[in-house]
Amino acid sequence: MEEPRIGVYICWCGTNIAKMVDVEAVASEVSSMPHVVLAKNYKYMCSDPGQELIIKDIKVHNLNRVIVAACSPRIHELTFRTACEKAGINPYLFEMANIREQDSWVHTDRSEATKKAIDLVIAAIRRVRFHEALEKRSVSVNPATLVIGGGIAGMTASLEIAASGKQVYLVEKADHLGGMVAQLDLTFPHLSSAQQIIHPLIQRVKNNPNIKVFLNTQIQQVHGYIGNFNTTILQNGNESVEIEFGNIIAAVGLKPFDPVVIPEYGYKKIPDVVTSVEFEQMLLSGLIQTSEGKDPRNVAIIHCVGSRNKKFHEYCSRVCCMTALKYVHQIRAALPDANIFEVYADMRAYGKGHEEFYAHTTHKQIIFLMFDQQTGLPRIRKAGAADKCNIIIEMDELLSGISIEVPVDMVVLMTNMEAHDDVKEVVRSIGVSLCGNQFFIEKHPKLDPVATTTGGVYIVGGCQGPKDIPDSVSQARAAAARILATIAQESVPVEVTTAQVNELLCCGCQTCVRVCPYSAVSYDESKKSSVVNEVLCKGCGTCGAACPAGAIKCKHFTDSQILAEIEGIMSLSYKY
Amino acid sequence: MSVRLQPELRNQLIQFGIGDWNACYHCGTCTAICPLSEKGFLFPRNKIRLMQMGVKDELETSVEPWLCYYCGDCTKSCPRDANPGELMMSLRRYLTSKYDWTGLSRKFYTSGVWELGFILVFAALVVIAFLFLLPAYGFKFTTELTAQGGVQVNAFAPWEYIEIFDWSMAAVVALLLISNILRMYYKIIWKDGKTTVSIWTHIREFWLLIYNFVVQPRFSKCEDKNYWLSHWFLMSGYTIMFIVIVVYLEWFQTDEILPFWHPQRTLGYYATFGLLFGLFVAIIGRIRKKRIKFQFSHVSDWLFLIMLTLTVITGILIHIFRINGMAWATYISYIAHMAILVPMILIEVPFSKWSHLAYRPFAVYFQQLKKHAVPRKSNQ
Ligand SMILES: Cc1cc2nc3c(=O)[nH]c(=O)nc-3n(C[C@H](O)[C@H](O)[C@H](O)COP(=O)(O)OP(=O)(O)OC[C@H]3O[C@@H](n4cnc5c(N)ncnc54)[C@H](O)[C@@H]3O)c2cc1C
Ligand code: SF4
Ligand code: SF4
Ligand code: SF4
Ligand code: SF4
Ligand code: SF4
Repeated sequence: MEEPRIGVYICWCGTNIAKMVDVEAVASEVSSMPHVVLAKNYKYMCSDPGQELIIKDIKVHNLNRVIVAACSPRIHELTFRTACEKAGINPYLFEMANIREQDSWVHTDRSEATKKAIDLVIAAIRRVRFHEALEKRSVSVNPATLVIGGGIAGMTASLEIAASGKQVYLVEKADHLGGMVAQLDLTFPHLSSAQQIIHPLIQRVKNNPNIKVFLNTQIQQVHGYIGNFNTTILQNGNESVEIEFGNIIAAVGLKPFDPVVIPEYGYKKIPDVVTSVEFEQMLLSGLIQTSEGKDPRNVAIIHCVGSRNKKFHEYCSRVCCMTALKYVHQIRAALPDANIFEVYADMRAYGKGHEEFYAHTTHKQIIFLMFDQQTGLPRIRKAGAADKCNIIIEMDELLSGISIEVPVDMVVLMTNMEAHDDVKEVVRSIGVSLCGNQFFIEKHPKLDPVATTTGGVYIVGGCQGPKDIPDSVSQARAAAARILATIAQESVPVEVTTAQVNELLCCGCQTCVRVCPYSAVSYDESKKSSVVNEVLCKGCGTCGAACPAGAIKCKHFTDSQILAEIEGIMSLSYKY
Repeated sequence: MSVRLQPELRNQLIQFGIGDWNACYHCGTCTAICPLSEKGFLFPRNKIRLMQMGVKDELETSVEPWLCYYCGDCTKSCPRDANPGELMMSLRRYLTSKYDWTGLSRKFYTSGVWELGFILVFAALVVIAFLFLLPAYGFKFTTELTAQGGVQVNAFAPWEYIEIFDWSMAAVVALLLISNILRMYYKIIWKDGKTTVSIWTHIREFWLLIYNFVVQPRFSKCEDKNYWLSHWFLMSGYTIMFIVIVVYLEWFQTDEILPFWHPQRTLGYYATFGLLFGLFVAIIGRIRKKRIKFQFSHVSDWLFLIMLTLTVITGILIHIFRINGMAWATYISYIAHMAILVPMILIEVPFSKWSHLAYRPFAVYFQQLKKHAVPRKSNQ
């Protein structure tokens, strides 16, 4: 191995670091360490002049290792790796020490913070000596795409991809396309017809030669990795078809919560207490009537049924407030004299045109009644003979502070939207994970909301979290764009810092096979050793830590690198 | 105990004023800014809530709407332009109709036809009385003037008879008003059934009632002092006129033309000026709509202003014509004066706007009683 020649750069980050860490002291402390050729400090290392400084030094001083002590590697590791690459050294010969998030931002004693910065930089210096040059790799991409779920999100994504002439396999569990939107009458906030939105879309999907639709079909285990997936599709439970594809879009949506479990609401026990989805059916049929076939005089709409309540689901279903307001317009049109009660806990009008829709709806002579999820839900009971109505809602009204009884003839429950029962099987078969609310987890909530941590698998629409049609469609188109970009490139880069099994040391216990969260390790009977599929491996290191034989080496996280780093942190001397 | 909502109440309330009260989203700014809202007697937000929800009983038994003097501060500061001040005004109209057991108040507030019809019928009765009834008793229209050159008003409308009529009308009106006030008292103090007030408290707090009636101090609490002044002029003018006409008509309605500085004339002039000034401010205000109080005018507001103005103008005309010896002009003015005055008094005092004059100080009295109320012992 060539002699390490290390350049160390301490960043001020304006005053972010410099105010709590004596950056000059850190630079001068480490400058005398073995292998350190130079140690500098600079106001903003990530700025263009900062990067230029590194590139120039590498060339002038013939550096072969670089350390930047600055912010979190999450933010700028890629910046500096790219700078190293430009100067002609392998990007993996770079190391970053985090002296901002882990130091200047969290301490108040400047001399202690400076000492800690020195320790962190020493650890990086010790570690970087053991870094090895790693080569970038990529895999080819199969241009076909698998879309799971034929709702508005899945269909939109399918059409978008098929429009560029690429093959789409669209798998739908139900016997028809359209998902939830196919069950709706009008849509908020413009009161346009849902049927007129969804039916043309269904026709276009059916007529598109590039889209192969599988109805009544559930997805089996998907094998392979980004660019090269395959699975067997069981159509109608028997006919099996082998398909290969390079990317996957999950668009399985959500299902309505069953309010039977909320005793206060008496759903299925008291006639004329219906869910929002049932009410949509009523609206589609064109008749709002009680079970006795009469026009209801008073209708109550209860919000947050199963939502925003720790007993059921803590999250907000997001579309039900506006849907409830939409019902006001529809009831008002059908029954001009009816009294309409919006029994709500909070009014959520977050989207474009929603606040205006809310303001406009309040003038429809409706009565808003507020309840408090914490102190108790409204209680629904069947009215007595003397009550002159079908149903009585008892509630503690929050804004007046009094307990009231609301006489009504029909109650609409704005049910929560929750994950499908089979969602766990779906995520397992495509190798992604669910959050605590059973929504598919995105790669990054802000910067990468449609990708997942599994390369080539994207999530769109309701399954990523409750959302309305515009948001579902936007996600669908975004995912399609991402996929078309990889198809156009014909190959995608894959993770470099993967695990490797030393076949001579492997004892065949298969611990690694069981612990790998990405199913990247398999046991090779002929070799009597485990092998890592380097395309699937994400370099998480789980197998390396679990292997009792010490047979697994994780690239860029080798034992010698990590031990050197620990020594650097622990030892107070600068010599080694 | 939970109260049953009466959603139909909304449709009723709409007839008493503005109807779109969902504008209010209950930020509470109005209650915070209201100079008259106080602990235990908070308004207007909570009353708006009861209106929105249709909680009839709680609304009917509440005293707070009367504690509001419509300064308009709440309306000015409402972020949603919900106009809480006018909602309080609507509520007072509604309550007036609820205190009135004859049901006429409701009719007058909600139906222009009823109100106009009532006015025309009573105006006609007055005219008939002057044209046929009094002449039948031997009183006559005469162009013969007094020695001073004035018109002989008492020959055509003898003060004794007019006074008897005044007295009987006052008695009817007072009976109606008192019975309405008793109903108000019952609703506010007893109907909620939770508290009881001792006789001694009733007596002790009574002086407040008198004080409030005379000084109207709550009004001065509102920011705009000018308005308080014009209101006070209007009030005192009205009261003086009322007293001299009902109690001292013999002294007020003379055929003799007294010297200018005689109290009969100065008091009369003062009262006329007070009325005119107050009316002028109110009418200009309602036309200009600058003051929040005057931005929304219910039909009943205009009708009342017009009738009172006409009454004052005809009153002035009687005086001018009389001292200038213009007999027929005097008689016509006199009949017109009475034909407007009588229906106005009959509508306004027990059933409409001027009943507020009585309800307001009583409300302060009842508020005081409520402050000293003790929880009622339950029977079980
Ligand atoms: C009562 C109600 C009213 C609404 N009103 C409006 C409105 O007015 N405006 C608005 O913008 N939004 C409204 N929404 C929201 C709207 O329905 C959603 O935004 C939209 O349905 C999301 O589309 P999606 O494709 O993500 O999911 P979905 O429409 O749920 O479609 C998912 C599809 O995937 C299929 N699927 C599920 N599991 C599997 C599986 N394992 N394998 C294969 N296929 C599977 C399902 O059968 C379904 O066809 C409303 C929602 C409800 C409940
Ligand atoms: S959108 Fe509205 S009704 Fe639906 S869960 Fe959220 S707050 Fe409740
Ligand atoms: S855990 Fe280690 S020893 Fe066991 S199978 Fe995996 S690589 Fe081999
Ligand atoms: S490093 Fe992680 S992803 Fe790679 S094989 Fe090991 S456990 Fe699996
Ligand atoms: S009336 Fe206006 S100020 Fe008063 S609570 Fe309602 S919105 Fe707020
Ligand atoms: S008008 Fe004035 S007195 Fe009446 S509620 Fe509003 S702020 Fe209070």
